[in-house]
Amino acid sequence: MTNEHSFSSENNPYLDEYRLPDSNQPANATGPQTVTETLLSEEEVNQFITISQQLEQELQRIVIGQERVIRELLLVLLAGGHALLEGVPGLGKTLLVRTLSDALSLKFARVQFTPDLMPADIVGTTIVTEEGESTAGGGRRVFSFQHGPIFANIVLADEINRATPKTQSALLEGMQERTVSVGDRTRPLPQPFFVLATQNPLEMEGTYPLPEAQLDRFMLKIMVNFPRAEDLLRIIDTTIGNQKSQAQTVATGDQLQRLIEIARAVPIASHVKEYAVRLLLATHPDQEDAPEQVQQYVRYGASPRGLQSIIATARVRALLEGRFNVALDDIQAVAFPSLRHRIVLNFDGLADNITAEQLISAITAELEPA
Amino acid sequence: MAATMPSHIPRTTEPDHLVTVLRPWSRRLLLQQTIMWALGGLISGLCIASLLLLGARLFPWATAPYWAAGCILVCTLMTIGYSIWDRPSLVTTAHQIDRRLVLHDRVSTAWELRTQSSPFTNLQLQNTLTHLQAHTPGQTISLQPRRITLATITGILVLLTLLYFLPNPMQSILQQRAALHAQITKQISTIDKIRQNVQKQPDLSDADKKQLDQTLHDVETQLQHAQNETDAQQALANAQAKINQLHDPQASAKLQSQVDAGKSLQSSNNSGAQALGQALAKNDPQGVDKALQKISSQANSLSNGQRQQLAQDLEQAANQSNQSSQLSSSLHQLAKSLTDGDTSEVSDATKAVSSSAQQTQTTQNQENTLNQTSQDLQQAANNLAAANNNTNQGQGQNQNQGQSPNQNQGQGQNQKQGQGQNPNQNQGQGQSQNQGQGQGHGNGNGQNGGGKQQGKSEQVYVQGQNGQGTSTESNGGSGNVQSGSNVPYSQVIQHYNQQAHDAIDNSNVSPNLKDAVHNYFDNLEGQQ
Repeated sequence: MTNEHSFSSENNPYLDEYRLPDSNQPANATGPQTVTETLLSEEEVNQFITISQQLEQELQRIVIGQERVIRELLLVLLAGGHALLEGVPGLGKTLLVRTLSDALSLKFARVQFTPDLMPADIVGTTIVTEEGESTAGGGRRVFSFQHGPIFANIVLADEINRATPKTQSALLEGMQERTVSVGDRTRPLPQPFFVLATQNPLEMEGTYPLPEAQLDRFMLKIMVNFPRAEDLLRIIDTTIGNQKSQAQTVATGDQLQRLIEIARAVPIASHVKEYAVRLLLATHPDQEDAPEQVQQYVRYGASPRGLQSIIATARVRALLEGRFNVALDDIQAVAFPSLRHRIVLNFDGLADNITAEQLISAITAELEPA
Repeated sequence: MAATMPSHIPRTTEPDHLVTVLRPWSRRLLLQQTIMWALGGLISGLCIASLLLLGARLFPWATAPYWAAGCILVCTLMTIGYSIWDRPSLVTTAHQIDRRLVLHDRVSTAWELRTQSSPFTNLQLQNTLTHLQAHTPGQTISLQPRRITLATITGILVLLTLLYFLPNPMQSILQQRAALHAQITKQISTIDKIRQNVQKQPDLSDADKKQLDQTLHDVETQLQHAQNETDAQQALANAQAKINQLHDPQASAKLQSQVDAGKSLQSSNNSGAQALGQALAKNDPQGVDKALQKISSQANSLSNGQRQQLAQDLEQAANQSNQSSQLSSSLHQLAKSLTDGDTSEVSDATKAVSSSAQQTQTTQNQENTLNQTSQDLQQAANNLAAANNNTNQGQGQNQNQGQSPNQNQGQGQNQKQGQGQNPNQNQGQGQSQNQGQGQGHGNGNGQNGGGKQQGKSEQVYVQGQNGQGTSTESNGGSGNVQSGSNVPYSQVIQHYNQQAHDAIDNSNVSPNLKDAVHNYFDNLEGQQ
């Protein structure tokens, strides 16, 4: 899918999420969510649950022992966000992303980030080509845009921290605006569009840690842990053999797009929203309600994008859990992957080997529901 | 995780249906809340009651059991009332159900979105109702108190029972106070009767009646607020002092003058003068009037010699009654008029003598009334002291501990009373009262028996030393006061000295204090 057409922000539904309500609209109109919900049918809600269950099962069949990672990846996928997967090599990160693209019948592109990778290698470049039949004087030469790998539905940015910040930032516009600007033209990315980046926490020499602005674009940071012994046995049985497992297609890109819209319509009670807000504010050391550990070890707390991430993924989680409302449990469950990469530790925190997970645990333990 | 999709999803939401479903849960929660709060209030009340009963064992508090019972009742009722007033709303009920049934905020979300109509809210409501119907309020919300609650109540009840039924060391003090209070009440009623009697006295002026009534009313008020016997005795003594101030200091002198004049006239040869003398000596105004009429009627028939003799007797009687200027002048006037032979002057003089005798009689009646009132008050004080002594005797325990405040107070009172009656049915009363109060400060520490004294307690009264303050002395009574024989001062001092020596040698008094008492009486003996 390398469609090229002029960009119009009004046609991009993803921008609506962050758009302020129009003053000409009625006060009770709540933007695209209301429009989505009026078009929503109960059968589609059923369909969401069915497809998401099938997708989860298909991923679990191929990727062994990473149920939590698969669940969190589904949360990002159905919430329409991007994910950063962190884990040592060989844990199945690439396999997971590829299986996901297979199951959804989406265009998949993998970019192996290296220090010499250039932004044009990702977004594409304009080249001179000949147009028409070859004559003595040659054909008519024109400039044409050569699409980069970012023009795919699922982009795997493998070892993203090995590229230079300049190259890393080439993903910024695509991840946030879902457009690519090259030269004087802005081109929309195909829908749906997901960036799934990986990074290796071990070999840090010669790497360029992602800046906070880049990290904030990722909806969740998913930690890929080492499988358990029984999972390793299952990996042996399923992967070392003549038969290659291939994921079956569960849904199309359009269906996935619709699932995302459905997930955004899940109702959420006010006390749950207030809890999420207080949870986010508790990550800021200058807040009175922040736990002592946060005040001692945190330099900067999570941004409002963190709150959006919590709410969006909590809605998906509620549906995946068979509920039609967001619960406090959902907020607490998604708080870890949503906030762990958005909390910046200070020197004391780094010196004392404090992790973001410890701080989030302290916050959830101290925070009482309203 | 498999979704629990209902087989039949309603197309429209029914908010009222959710309300209907939540009502029984709300009622059950209210019932449970009421029981829990009531038990909490009961525990609080029992704790407070235990503290009150414990305090009643440290400080004398007669009404502590009633206060304890009231605390239990009030605490329980207050908590029940509060729990009913703060009944759980449907929103609270929804949150409570979510928490108790682990419904993951289904009910609270459904309640908040009950007015919205959308596929998701319909699904959410139906899902919520499906989960709710799987439970009943009776099974989910237990009304049985927790074991720890019951154990706590039982423990406090046992403690409370022990505190209530075990002997209270403060009980003796409470009984003593109750007896004192009863006695004070009795004396107040006595004083009330005295007030009524005072109002009926014809010889008292309105001002005196008012002042007496005010004094008695004040002593009643002070008795009602008296905390101990000392306060009560002090109030009675103050009232007596006030009443004594109402006495006419010249009344006894006037009466004595009249008696002396009467005795002088009794030796006269004239029958009228003798009758006048007897009437004056008996303080009988009617007899005086009759005698004066007789003298008036004899005046014209007497010879000059007899008249001169009568005038001389009257002059002598007038000289005897120089303490009563009115009587003396009227007798002088009568004697002069008899000498002059002026009938009209004799008549005026007899009227003056009669008026003087009448005035003396009235004054004496007033004095008698005041004396009677003072005597009644003294009787009330004696009754109070006697009752207190009876209460103190037989006390099981008497515990003195601590350090004395280095302050000695002494109060002495000497009182003599006498009554006389003559054959003519005239009654006389006499009273002699000496009061003194002394107060002194010392630097020594005193400690009296750190342990317990079993058996009968003994009260020791120490006479005040060099009493300061007001000292009133009044002598009243008509004529024949039979107050016993006069005792020389040296014998009185010797008697008191012996008593003081005996008392102080038989008690646990420091040698220094013994020496001080001995020196005191030695000095008194030296002053005679």
